[in-house]
Amino acid sequence: MAKLGYLPKEKLTALLEALSKEQRLFVPCQAGDAVLFQQYDATKTPCLDRPATTPPKGIIFPQDDTLFTFTYHKDAEDLKKVSVELKENLDVAPTIIFGARPCDAKGFLIYDRPYTETDTPDPYYKKRRDMTAIMTLACPAPSPGCFCTSVGGDPADKDGSDVLITQLESGYLFESITEKGETILQNSLFEEGSSYQEQAQRTHEAVAELVRKPFQVTEELTQKVLSLFENDSFWEEEANKCISCGACTYLCPTCYCFNITDEQAGSSGERIRTWDACMFYHFTLEASGHNPRALKHQRLKNRVGHKFSYYPQKYDGAIACCGCGRCVRYCPVSVDISEIVAHAQEYTNDHGE
Amino acid sequence: MTTVNNPYLPELATITKIIEETPNIKSYQVVFDDQEKMGRFSFEPGQVGQLSVFGTGESTFVINSPPTRMEYLQFSVMKAGEVTGVLHDLAEGDQVGVRAPLGNWFPYEEMKGKKILFIGGGIGLAPLRTLILFMLDNRDDYDDITIIYGARTPPDLCYKDDLKDWEARADVNLILTVDAEYPEWDKRIGFVPTVLSEVAPSSENTVAITCGPPIMIKFVLQGLAQLKFKDEQIITTLEKRMKCGIGICGRCNIGSMYVCKDGPVFSLAQLKQIPPEL
Amino acid sequence: MTIERLKEIVHKVLPDVDVVIGYRQGFDALHATPFFITKPEEVDELIWGPLCVHNLAAYLPSLTKNKKIAVIVKGCDSRTVNQYLQENLINRENTVIIGIPCSGVISVKKVLKGLGDQPIEAVSGDGDKITVTTSQGDKALSLSEVSPDKCRTCQYPTPLIYDHLAGDPISPDKPAESVYDDVREFEKLSLGERWHYWETELSRCIRCYACRNACPMCICQDKCIAESRDPHWMTQRLNGTEKLMYHMIHALHLAGRCVECEECTRVCPVEIPVAKIKKKINMEMAELFGYKAGVGVEDTPPMFTFKVDEEKIEEHEL
Ligand SMILES: Cc1cc2nc3c(=O)[nH]c(=O)nc-3n(C[C@H](O)[C@H](O)[C@H](O)COP(=O)(O)OP(=O)(O)OC[C@H]3O[C@@H](n4cnc5c(N)ncnc54)[C@H](O)[C@@H]3O)c2cc1C
Ligand code: SF4
Ligand code: SF4
Ligand code: SF4
Ligand code: SF4
Ligand code: SF4
Ligand code: FES
Repeated sequence: MAKLGYLPKEKLTALLEALSKEQRLFVPCQAGDAVLFQQYDATKTPCLDRPATTPPKGIIFPQDDTLFTFTYHKDAEDLKKVSVELKENLDVAPTIIFGARPCDAKGFLIYDRPYTETDTPDPYYKKRRDMTAIMTLACPAPSPGCFCTSVGGDPADKDGSDVLITQLESGYLFESITEKGETILQNSLFEEGSSYQEQAQRTHEAVAELVRKPFQVTEELTQKVLSLFENDSFWEEEANKCISCGACTYLCPTCYCFNITDEQAGSSGERIRTWDACMFYHFTLEASGHNPRALKHQRLKNRVGHKFSYYPQKYDGAIACCGCGRCVRYCPVSVDISEIVAHAQEYTNDHGE
Repeated sequence: MTTVNNPYLPELATITKIIEETPNIKSYQVVFDDQEKMGRFSFEPGQVGQLSVFGTGESTFVINSPPTRMEYLQFSVMKAGEVTGVLHDLAEGDQVGVRAPLGNWFPYEEMKGKKILFIGGGIGLAPLRTLILFMLDNRDDYDDITIIYGARTPPDLCYKDDLKDWEARADVNLILTVDAEYPEWDKRIGFVPTVLSEVAPSSENTVAITCGPPIMIKFVLQGLAQLKFKDEQIITTLEKRMKCGIGICGRCNIGSMYVCKDGPVFSLAQLKQIPPEL
Repeated sequence: MTIERLKEIVHKVLPDVDVVIGYRQGFDALHATPFFITKPEEVDELIWGPLCVHNLAAYLPSLTKNKKIAVIVKGCDSRTVNQYLQENLINRENTVIIGIPCSGVISVKKVLKGLGDQPIEAVSGDGDKITVTTSQGDKALSLSEVSPDKCRTCQYPTPLIYDHLAGDPISPDKPAESVYDDVREFEKLSLGERWHYWETELSRCIRCYACRNACPMCICQDKCIAESRDPHWMTQRLNGTEKLMYHMIHALHLAGRCVECEECTRVCPVEIPVAKIKKKINMEMAELFGYKAGVGVEDTPPMFTFKVDEEKIEEHEL
């Protein structure tokens, strides 16, 4: 049975204080004019009114991370002889993400398949993932560009969260979804919440109505997107305004690509992993100078294709986009992935592909 | 303290021998520093490894020594950029990192009892070498073995010792070619695809395995089609920029297929199923 | 009306070019988006107004090499065209410039901030006011309240170069001497305070390179030092040193070239006012060399030329 807890608004700070004492607590905070997930302490200004500018993915999958360090040692007897020593870097502390949105939480489910459900699981991701609890705030309103209901989501979706929080008039209702969540709700700050459940339900339904619905996922969608693979003019038209930056992928809660590079100073250094993205020219550039995705429409095709065709083909139809709308909202030229998907559907319907 | 099965953590290995194959290709024989691990290590012909030079980075190379000869693992490196450049500066006794084995392999079980036609160009002989040596070590399992191999000039031919060996063997038909006339070269002259058409091997009960520069592959595939090879009878390997080697980092995909994990070995029939993005 | 004149002009030039670049409505009522017009029936979708924030001239260098392009430019955007011509980055023969006199655009971010980031259902403009509708109702905002910094000191409301002009020229009404007031104000802070300011601002940078890729004068793009390992001057780390390095390189490569379009600030998803760094350098350029990028077609950028005796630079005695 789900546990229900009610927290009056004025006790929110006390709750954050309490949670941050026991583990690392990340909360969306005002940072300049942006809202970013930051480790909570009393100097921070939490902001739950709008989805964070960047998704919480960096908490479990840091934008830069040391995989291991290496040190070259000179042999005391034979100075020409050098040996190298490696040290794995896998220190992880228990963590809570507070105030993610349902789409943010779902992003991690999309990460999980390539990162953990494979014969070569990623120990860095997995360890952080296992040690993190996600307390999700049901969206009190949609945000510009978002479209979660088109991709099987919902502003109060519980998938991927440990606790679902609903903002009510004078407080919040907390509902546990997993055991991790239940443990969190044992905190004595919570009051009995069952009488608020109906009110929360009504809020959820009202918000869902307001979310735009640019397209509908059908069973043929993955095939339709794929059928346009060789249609350069379709993709050129969709991509002509794109400026090939990393905003759409770095802000996407489901984009999981990375780079690995070595850095060395003196006799030691580290192998680091950093976010990377298929919208960058360098991503697929080969040593010979050949680049299979040298043009921006080829790269945009890969981004849309990966989310709406390749990933679902690989993983049982799961769409690798949770509709958070960040790529739409923050794209410098308003490239709208939902519009591209809708165009792909229209085009294939019209041309019988 | 290290996690068991951290796929990003290379095994330390020492270069025991360096062979200068051509002016820009060197072969490296490496042995894991952990003898017990070396003893336990196994792989299949066609699988690749990531070689690390700590401080510079990692690059992908096929293990071109066969699993039937496990005294060392051999990688051949063509100088192409940053990591390969630094690898070329290393000496015997230097340490490198190895992440292996990665990727899929040649379906050698299905090739048993068949005639085998190898067609290679330049460094493209590397993956073929693994399989050739593997087959020679299991010679009875296979019917005729023909190798057509070419390079720009005679000095650009890799594995000169092996070539001598194969030439001397009665159970291998080796056909060598170079692009243009060259002092003291008394073998064939002409591009690999042209030589293929001249030799015109039969497609009957034959598997063709080809690897080389993209332009060579393109014409070899046309030549094989003319010789009535079916798509299922043709096997090749793909190359893409790689980082993780385990299907996560995202850069080596062609549609839903990841060259590092689902490849690098594909039959032409399989390649025709995936989007054309090479 | 400007939009009618604009459509007329576009219809007129369209047959002679491969594409006309203008604006159309984006994913919601608040966002315009660049619009690549190739067919006459598309012209009707063209829009013009305070939502048309993008500097469309930035598309020219990559396109005018082998195509004929017509582009719609505002007064500020026209400096980009001039600068391209000074630096020989576009083919003038392949470029048709459709100028629009502009009385100011909005900052989308400022509007959204005023509205609690709600999806926008409708926007209507009326002189120096815009009215924005969300599910919570209407809200009127004065244009000056939500305009980007560049509009507040705009000196060139009418394009400086054009082949066609859609509308009557507008005279600048902002004092020229106050263009760099914000920089001067900022400079009153102590070094420590300024350092802290930029440390805090840049800490948010995610190295998405939107600021670089949107910048019309950033011409290295795929060859940027920020991603290169040859030369290997920067790492892919996300620390302060690397970010500062990246932004300093961007700023210095723009010295005497930045046309003050403020695209870099506009596109930054984490709202870092990166154009401020360049504005400081622009001020120095104006004071040292009497040069403002993109103002005249015939000017020579100061870093493209050499004078043995610079009037305002004191030489070290050798
Ligand atoms: C499955 C496979 C097997 C290969 N086998 C061999 C072989 O046996 N011998 C050989 O000489 N070469 C082989 N290559 C090519 C070799 O991996 C590249 O030439 C090498 O990675 C270039 O690295 P670099 O650092 O010198 O070049 P840079 O241009 O400096 O490359 C930077 C980084 O990009 C990646 N990269 C660039 N080009 C490639 C590429 N073509 N393939 C994979 N990663 C790349 C590497 O991670 C490299 O570290 C193989 C490639 C693949 C994909
Ligand atoms: S779609 Fe937009 S955010 Fe993405 S690379 Fe293109 S311009 Fe940048
Ligand atoms: S593709 Fe866009 S809308 Fe979809 S999850 Fe990513 S950022 Fe959100
Ligand atoms: S869309 Fe591109 S960057 Fe994002 S996960 Fe897919 S391949 Fe990677
Ligand atoms: S640096 Fe910024 S303001 Fe200057 S030209 Fe580039 S984008 Fe425009
Ligand atoms: S746009 Fe903003 S976040 Fe992106 S690189 Fe520029 S300053 Fe950094
Ligand atoms: S190399 Fe990372 S996915 Fe293939």
